[in-house]
Amino acid sequence: MTMNLFNQFLSPTFLGLPLIAIALMAPCLLYPSPAPWWQSNRWTTLQNWFIGSFIKQILSPINTKGHSWALLLATLMVFLITLNTLGLLPYTFTPTTQLSLNMAFAVPLWLATVIMGFRNSPTHALGHLLPEGTPTPLVPILIIIESISLLIRPLALGVRLTANLTAGHLLIQLVSSAAFSLLLSQTTAASLAVGLLLLLTILEVAVAMIQAYVFVLLLSLYLQENV
Amino acid sequence: MPQLNPAPWFLILVFSWLIFLALMPPKILTHQFPHEPSTLTAHKPKANSWTWAWQ
Repeated sequence: MTMNLFNQFLSPTFLGLPLIAIALMAPCLLYPSPAPWWQSNRWTTLQNWFIGSFIKQILSPINTKGHSWALLLATLMVFLITLNTLGLLPYTFTPTTQLSLNMAFAVPLWLATVIMGFRNSPTHALGHLLPEGTPTPLVPILIIIESISLLIRPLALGVRLTANLTAGHLLIQLVSSAAFSLLLSQTTAASLAVGLLLLLTILEVAVAMIQAYVFVLLLSLYLQENV
Repeated sequence: MPQLNPAPWFLILVFSWLIFLALMPPKILTHQFPHEPSTLTAHKPKANSWTWAWQ
């Protein structure tokens, strides 16, 4: 019984073809490129406003050297937020529930920030492993602890996104199956479950957007430390 | 948990990065951020120009 609930997260295939590729293409297909004329339509203006204000906000604490990451962060944000929110529609597949995808993004990008930091200013990068004002006897153990926390960052980044989205989808499936099975026998309980489902769906929309933002924000913070 | 099945991991990695590197950036890059048109003032506008940085 419990195993059936996780079947929704099986990477879907049809006649041997992986359908996750189509799911991943959805953000590209949904955003028409702006036309070269001066006045764009509403959808393009909205996109432009979103990308502009997001970039302004995320790059403001980063110095000028880190601004070359602007395109990467903007693309990542648009990609993740679209994948997350589209997955809330019925009968869609959310690629970001796959740990493989989230780790595939988290590990290389985190590693890039770390390598950049160690190449450009190795002393400064190593200095992050020891907070200022640490009492001398605590120094060795604190360095070990800070190194562990550094190495756990990509894992946390990937697993956070995966777990949040998986848990949300699982809850929605549980509550909706409860509501459906109770529909005829105990209608009051079923209507309460439907009310809960409505609130849950609103929560999941918020979580989808917030988790995408948190992923990119944390990456920008790791960049800020190392640039 | 089906997410822990290692079989599609490499495929998913390849596909997602392919789309993330090849298809998404052109769509984001075509967005430009020109200055708002100013009135007939002679002084220099406060904003410095910004475009997608390439250092």
